[in-house]
Amino acid sequence: MAYTTFSTLSNDAMKEPMFFGNPVNVARYDQQKFEVFEKLIEKQLSFFWRPEEIDVSRDRIDFMNLPDHEQHIFISNLKYQTLLDSIQGRSPNMALLPIVSLPELETWIETWAFSETIHSRSYTHILRNLFTDPSEVFEDIVNNEEIQKRAIDISGYYDTLIHSVQYMQLHGLDNQDAIEYINLDGEKEVLTLRSIKKKLYLCICSTNALEAIRFYVSFACSFAFAERDLLEGNAKIIKLIARDEALHLTSTQQILNIWADGKDDPEMAEIALECFAEGRAIFLQAAEQEKEWAQYLFKDGSMIGLNEQILCQYVEYISNQRMIAIGYEAPFPVSTNPIPWINHWLVSDNVQVAPQEAEISSYLVGQINSKVDSEDLSSFEL
Amino acid sequence: MSKILTVNGSRYPLDSEKTLLENLESQAINIEFHCRDGHCGACRCQLVSGHVNYTSYPMAYIRENDILTCCSKSTGDIKINTY
Repeated sequence: MAYTTFSTLSNDAMKEPMFFGNPVNVARYDQQKFEVFEKLIEKQLSFFWRPEEIDVSRDRIDFMNLPDHEQHIFISNLKYQTLLDSIQGRSPNMALLPIVSLPELETWIETWAFSETIHSRSYTHILRNLFTDPSEVFEDIVNNEEIQKRAIDISGYYDTLIHSVQYMQLHGLDNQDAIEYINLDGEKEVLTLRSIKKKLYLCICSTNALEAIRFYVSFACSFAFAERDLLEGNAKIIKLIARDEALHLTSTQQILNIWADGKDDPEMAEIALECFAEGRAIFLQAAEQEKEWAQYLFKDGSMIGLNEQILCQYVEYISNQRMIAIGYEAPFPVSTNPIPWINHWLVSDNVQVAPQEAEISSYLVGQINSKVDSEDLSSFEL
Repeated sequence: MSKILTVNGSRYPLDSEKTLLENLESQAINIEFHCRDGHCGACRCQLVSGHVNYTSYPMAYIRENDILTCCSKSTGDIKINTY
């Protein structure tokens, strides 16, 4: 089954499964099989923002005054987030668009990936402000061992899916005696539609874990700095990013739950059951990696209000919440939020603050916003 | 007579003008929330009995008998359990 950019088959999109049905032809949004994806598109569009709207010029001073170990925490988090959004800016498109069958879901995936590219652009915005030449930071992302460990784990599921789908779309699945499928490990593998669907399921599990917990260690650190009135420009950007990520997470939770509850492709419901343990393992692995990341962040010392222990507890706490949301038992004993103040940074309608408050982003498009001291007005006479 | 909000077996007065989350907060009940906009699902609770009206579209996945407290109100007696 080759991919076509416009299938002339007159199909009813309301009867297609989310993935592996007929390719989408008419991009129509007057009717939806799953209304939630249409709502997500609208919400994401209404959230649109640009990094340049946020003034980060004062962050440079704050950053320069940080002790070395706090600079390490700040920069490492930015590097990790740059990696995550580099992957998320392209992978949903590459992996999911060739196999999606619903117009609203197709557009949601595009909208989702686009918003991730805005996040990537905002990291450049932040780093360009902190360093005259940010190349060293960007170059370390592919060399840093700690980041690499995570990168391989995240991109692996995408790559496996993309590779098998490409084979299927090029050769079809009925011709495997003549053209063998050699998977990414260099081994011969017999592909079936079901085995590719399984790869899709695991890929969404991994993406869900990424959106659910991987970002939150960095978020917590950024907000902890801002609670001390440090690096507030950065925190404003991270707040907008966190708001977007909550939407992305909702979409992956929706997909997983729709499958598991048998509201879509019945074969996916079977696979959800079959891969239940594997899905949990993916989640627990991500939680473990994030705890290791916290250890790496605080290797030279903690920051005020946050240390490795608290951050690890938060990883466990948020993992519990996220796993319950997709039908798993809470795996960790933590039952209360160790850093309850973070919730106030995650409120979405709080993002627009009253304009009289300093540095409100919507009034700063293309403006210079520096501190005005009352001294500056001392020569004023009325 | 004011309506009753029962949370994990404890009874509280219900303000039908406020969302359930605001009701819970005004009674100092510890409940998780993030977005307060119906899209993150952090405030999900189990509905034991009663009925809710959503003030905005609940985008997070809600199973049967689950509700999002941040964007729902109730006009009658209601029983919920927190997760």
